[in-house]
Amino acid sequence: MLQEGGRLANTLYAVKHPDLSKFLVIAAILFIIGVAGVLTRRNIIVIFMSIELILNAANLNFIAFSRYLQDSGSGNPLAGQVFTVFIIVVAAAEAAVGLGIVIALYRNRETIWIDEIDLMKW
Amino acid sequence: MILSGWESVFFWIFSIAAILAGLLTVMARNAVHSALFLISSLVSVAALFILLGAEFIAGVQILVYVGGVMVLFLFVIMLVNVGAEEAGRAAIFNRPPQIVATLVFLALLALVLIVYVIPKGPQVQSKAAGAEKQQQVDAARAAREQKMDVGATGVSRVSKETERVGTSLYTYASLPFEIASLLLLVAIIGSVMLARTFKQEAAVDDVDPEVLKTTASPTDSAKS
Repeated sequence: MLQEGGRLANTLYAVKHPDLSKFLVIAAILFIIGVAGVLTRRNIIVIFMSIELILNAANLNFIAFSRYLQDSGSGNPLAGQVFTVFIIVVAAAEAAVGLGIVIALYRNRETIWIDEIDLMKW
Repeated sequence: MILSGWESVFFWIFSIAAILAGLLTVMARNAVHSALFLISSLVSVAALFILLGAEFIAGVQILVYVGGVMVLFLFVIMLVNVGAEEAGRAAIFNRPPQIVATLVFLALLALVLIVYVIPKGPQVQSKAAGAEKQQQVDAARAAREQKMDVGATGVSRVSKETERVGTSLYTYASLPFEIASLLLLVAIIGSVMLARTFKQEAAVDDVDPEVLKTTASPTDSAKS
């Protein structure tokens, strides 16, 4: 079963020596979990946290590609890390403003259950 | 970019930790538990960044994301007093279309994973070729390490990654850098303004707080 070149041997090799694709799959799974959190939860703050998870998955993608381009030597390999810094900056700014909105909302409506914040619904 | 040896062990440990912590973030009933699980997930992803050679980004993630943004989340959870909001398991997963859609998407995800994790065709033709490839990877890593400077204690090596990222930020990305600092300024001003109480707003403009209360929420009459 473990013959060389066989499927099991290849899988074992891929597991023992993770490549770029494993990082992308991990980032995709984190992204999916974040999107599921945004769509499912009804607490505004947990929705914000799921958005942070989504941005983090994108960051992991960028850094993985940055390292891959460094090793395979083409283009501007450090662009991934520079972009990640900007994503972290934007995420921090968005979290600050979003949580300010949540506080103002709580002061006026006394709720953070998003089913009850439906004033602008049709 | 092939990790091997202990790096691959740590890769699997931290990636499974990140995914589990992310899953628990989304599934936790208590908002504080969600925040703590998200902190674990972010720290695991920072460890993955270190495995990928981006030490500066890992440090920035832990300092800014975990130490700033998540602490802000915890403060807001404390202020907003979430408490028993999720008490009594809210039925979020009991309708048939929901279950069917979830199963379909899980099947798609499993298909994608199977197609991508199991590599196509023979990657390693024979044991000898596998050993040779491993030698190439180790030689490349050793060559990379030789080029790095020796640390102050003379034991470890210091990578130039942070220096390169800093140079890149200040030369190629200097305009976005300045715009990002402007964005942070706007965010600070905006969040301070959004979270002010009526008394604080009245104190700024020397207006009677009661006047602000009556004019600020005209929708209360619409609701009642």
